[in-house]
Amino acid sequence: MAADGVITAVIVDDHAAITAGVRYWCEQAVPPIRLVDAGTRLAEVWTGPGADADVVIFDLELVPGRPDFAELRRLVDNGRRVVVYSQHADTATALKCVDLGALAYLTKREGLDHLIPAIRATANGLPYTAPSLSGALVADDAPDRPRLSPREVEVLRAWFTSSSKDLVAAKLNITVKTVDTHIARVRVKYANVGRAARTKSELVSRALDDGLVTLAELNRTVTPL
Amino acid sequence: MVSDPVGGRTRARLLFGLRVATLLVTAVVVGVLGLANLLRRWESHDLPLVQLAAFAALAAVLAGEAVLLARRRPWGRLRPLAVAVVLAASALAAVTLPEERTASAVDWAFGAANWVGLVVLLDRPLRTVVAFLAAHEVIALSNMLLFSDVDKGDLARLATGSVTVIGFPLCLAVVAAVLHRIAADAETAAAEVERVRTAEAVAAESHRRRQQRFAELSAGAIPLLEGLADGSLDPEDPAVQRRGAIEAARMRRLGAESDVVTNPLLHELRHCADVADRKGVVVELEARGHWPTPPVAVRRDLTDAALTALATAGSWARVTVVGDQGLVSVNVVADSGEAAPASPATSDVRVEVLGNGATVWVEATWQPTA
Repeated sequence: MAADGVITAVIVDDHAAITAGVRYWCEQAVPPIRLVDAGTRLAEVWTGPGADADVVIFDLELVPGRPDFAELRRLVDNGRRVVVYSQHADTATALKCVDLGALAYLTKREGLDHLIPAIRATANGLPYTAPSLSGALVADDAPDRPRLSPREVEVLRAWFTSSSKDLVAAKLNITVKTVDTHIARVRVKYANVGRAARTKSELVSRALDDGLVTLAELNRTVTPL
Repeated sequence: MVSDPVGGRTRARLLFGLRVATLLVTAVVVGVLGLANLLRRWESHDLPLVQLAAFAALAAVLAGEAVLLARRRPWGRLRPLAVAVVLAASALAAVTLPEERTASAVDWAFGAANWVGLVVLLDRPLRTVVAFLAAHEVIALSNMLLFSDVDKGDLARLATGSVTVIGFPLCLAVVAAVLHRIAADAETAAAEVERVRTAEAVAAESHRRRQQRFAELSAGAIPLLEGLADGSLDPEDPAVQRRGAIEAARMRRLGAESDVVTNPLLHELRHCADVADRKGVVVELEARGHWPTPPVAVRRDLTDAALTALATAGSWARVTVVGDQGLVSVNVVADSGEAAPASPATSDVRVEVLGNGATVWVEATWQPTA
């Protein structure tokens, strides 16, 4: 983060209108977020002002039909905090991005409500789970998925279907803070079973320090079927 | 011919019986009468071993037929070879006969090879059998004309012999041809009966479905339309407009129910959402997971909750489906002022409504009991 405390994000997207929209949201945000436009040039994420940005907003499909998971992996391996911003809403793509170490996965439809909060969270090294990703996590039936508690599944499902934490809290008779805690715990569990990366170790060790999860819970990872 | 199973079975049974009978007759004619003749006149032959070879060739063809019959298979591509073997055996036996013995008691093959040929050609058209018998006769006749001094007695002997040698197999071939035709007719008739029966069943089913649809509409759409027609319902009334939106969505759903799609629940929800979409409500539809296809009644309960909520949506609605093997949940979150919970008709469906002022969340869940 810059000395003045302003968050900087660099966006890689091939649609100028998307970039313009994101720039507008960033300028309107309180406090504002500084946005660097890399256009479609991935090099500008690695050099110049883009290299120092706190968050990378990454359009997964710069080439239509060919999601660039390799670039996402490179960014994560270099400790970059990535918000995947994709027009794809399918479960497999979302889960793959999380597995590769993206801190947030948003569909373009969710941009208006969730992009700014996602940038803020990821700038601090925290994961952000938008409703579509929450739905993907509920629908995950991979054998190596982490073991989630019934309550966590319930919260994920309600967050996906209602897309309002107030409604989730009202429905499940818990506070919004507890809703967030459940979602955060799920992400830590996923990070723990995902690939080794700097963002992952930060995330897991912080969760352990904060008492969000215990070591015992993390070691009991795989859901028995 | 592409035949239906019933006709095909009739045909196969008829022809199988005939094939067995022909093989038995031929086995007796060749194996008993032919062999007895050959052995009894063994001394009369100049080259008895050649005659025996011809007999062996005929016996081999009969053995082949027995094997094919046991496996219920036709001769197929082997047929020309078998016919050639029979004719060759017939010619070989004729050529090596002692002089002026054609069609005599010594000429065992004259009355044997014809039957073997018939066995091979039984399921072919009549003209093929006639052609074969003619070839067989020509062999005997030309052998007689070319290699011996022919007198009236020889010709009379050949003519008399030919009556049985050609006549009997020909009769059988005619019977086979008639049976073929009967079988083909039976097949056509069975196919026709089946077609008529199917058409009747389809007609009855579509009639039943139309009546059922009409009954379903009569509870909702028809009173609404009648009310609008006689002026007792005011089109300006928001409640009437809401009923109209709900009934429009139900009619769309009714139409979508008979579509053959991989995911009927999503398909029907899409149709319900489309009605709201046309009204100017921004609808997003998202689905996650895989679930078993719910029966129509359950799908109606699930979509009814959604379409009622969609009908009251002001400007936006989010429709989501999430499911697995144990639970299917259909949700609508929309900016509806109020939401009347629909009462599900099936016991496995639960509908919950939650409102926090501006936003209403309707969730319908189904737990597959099986």
